[in-house]
Amino acid sequence: MSVRTLKGKRRWLALGGCLVWLAITFFPLYWVLITSFKTPIAVVGGPTYLPFVDFEPSLTAWSELLSGQRGQFFSTFWASTIIGLSASVAATFIGAMAAYALVRFTFRFRLLSALIFVVIAFGGFLLGRHVLGYGQGISLVYAFVAALALAVISSRFRLPGPELGNNDIVFWFVSQRMFPPIVAAFALYLMYTEMGKLGFKLVDSYVGLTFAYIAFSLPIVIWLMRDFFEALPVEVEEAAMVDNVPSWRIFFGIVLPMSKPGLIATFMITLAFVWNEFLFALFLTNSKWQTLPILVAGQNSQRGDEWWAISAAALVAIIPMMVMAGLLSRLMRSGLLLGAIK
Amino acid sequence: MTRNDPIKHFFIWPALIIVLMISIFPLVYSLTTSFMSMRLVPPTPARFVGFGNYLDLLQNPRFWHVAGTTTLIAFISVGLQYVIGLSVALALNSKVPGEGIFRVSFLLPMLVAPVAVALIARQVLNPTMGPLNELMTAIGFPNLPFLTQTSWALGSIIAVEVWQWTPFVILMLLAGLQTLPDDVYEAAALENATPWQQFRDITFPMLLPISVAVVFIRLIESYKIIDTVFVMTGGGPGISTETLTLFAYQEGFKKFNLGYTSALSFLFLIVITVIGLVYLAILKPYLEKHK
Repeated sequence: MSVRTLKGKRRWLALGGCLVWLAITFFPLYWVLITSFKTPIAVVGGPTYLPFVDFEPSLTAWSELLSGQRGQFFSTFWASTIIGLSASVAATFIGAMAAYALVRFTFRFRLLSALIFVVIAFGGFLLGRHVLGYGQGISLVYAFVAALALAVISSRFRLPGPELGNNDIVFWFVSQRMFPPIVAAFALYLMYTEMGKLGFKLVDSYVGLTFAYIAFSLPIVIWLMRDFFEALPVEVEEAAMVDNVPSWRIFFGIVLPMSKPGLIATFMITLAFVWNEFLFALFLTNSKWQTLPILVAGQNSQRGDEWWAISAAALVAIIPMMVMAGLLSRLMRSGLLLGAIK
Repeated sequence: MTRNDPIKHFFIWPALIIVLMISIFPLVYSLTTSFMSMRLVPPTPARFVGFGNYLDLLQNPRFWHVAGTTTLIAFISVGLQYVIGLSVALALNSKVPGEGIFRVSFLLPMLVAPVAVALIARQVLNPTMGPLNELMTAIGFPNLPFLTQTSWALGSIIAVEVWQWTPFVILMLLAGLQTLPDDVYEAAALENATPWQQFRDITFPMLLPISVAVVFIRLIESYKIIDTVFVMTGGGPGISTETLTLFAYQEGFKKFNLGYTSALSFLFLIVITVIGLVYLAILKPYLEKHK
């Protein structure tokens, strides 16, 4: 019994509040569930609430959806699953590594190195594209490699100018999420087509979409994981360092297990983001790797608002996430962290 | 405390390279086009216009209107999300009866695709066959214009945002609450501190860093709202619920006015950066005080 446990009247008040929020959370989901079992006539006739009581349930919408009359349902489902899982696992892992580095190690570089990167990348692209007449893809690759190499080399020298540190790197990562996704999606589409001309197929491919999702999830993973790592007690790591345990083993053997609740929360958020993402999927796929939100949105446009079909399609996109929430919240039970500290 | 070890490069470079590769081209491309007049339909040759696109936009009343609408939606919905989210997280953390069930079910809305949420909202708010209209009629407010009158439409969009994203706030704050040490509360209980005092002097200050992060993330994300508005109202009636991203979408993919859209997205970026910096600057003294 923790000291923070509520007692008496407050406990019932809290319960009441939670029940109200539960009703608000569930009603729209319940509504979409029953609508998916209604016939067109039952939907148009006005609101009905209980199956078998005020309307007769029907399986029309579901059989139409599952039989493929409304788009390539199964392949879309698999594409969503594969891309969602691999992108969020990769993003959580890579992002956790970067977040740990930003919390526990010191990074120092001169503003000038960063400026060199930006100037060479911009200048190289413009030079290749508009002066030397290369294609967008080639000038982009050259400019990027040259800019990165020069920035890294220049950071070896003692350049003048202000010095930047960990917080500036974090700010840069987070600022990537501020960029309006609509323009990024369009520009990314152009970049992927250019890469396609060079022989790397990225539009409507597994690699292309997954890569984009990893990149766009990383800022949020780093931002969240940094808070979790900062909250971890540093003593355990210090004890390990006294015993000469190498840093990579401290990270994989001690830090990652200790931050399990944080990792799971971050993974869930990333997966939900990737699973539901609309704009990038719309631009970067057309058939083979199309994802569920595109299929759901596609139900809307065909013949007016066919609510029964829309509901069934929406539920297919929702149910896997519900199952996952159930599985993951078991792992998230409190006490994992406490156990690690003791 | 930070340390220095060459292995740090191994930890950070994968993330750095991936984000750089994906972000640098959109940045270079749209910054270049934002200074050009460039249309795909009808195709016109790209022409350098300097700050022309930016000036056009700043003189366009629609831009200011759209920025105002987006700010309104973002601030009200994030405020509500934080208040509701914190209350629920506190209740769950203090082991309200049935906490396990609540914990799972409260996460659900966040996991539903925004496109699907908007479609569900349109069903629930539908004037003839929606349950909400029937409920309102039963208590004496017949035929409310949920999606067709400006203030109601804005309210509906905010309600949907709150419904969908409060779970995110609950999730993060609950994880934060669970890392707070018990001994501080035990000491407070010995001093006979009331629950309200405990909340004001211990829980809230110790939760401040994660609260700041959560609100910051939600504000930035809310500013980019498009899916819900697009499906629910399409920006209407008129342009009264149009948001910045929807405006960019209209200009870019209905009119294919690429230069204008790119300039718009950079103005958007400036707006968000300014809001973010102001927000962090206001909160910095509080964060330092409670470190």
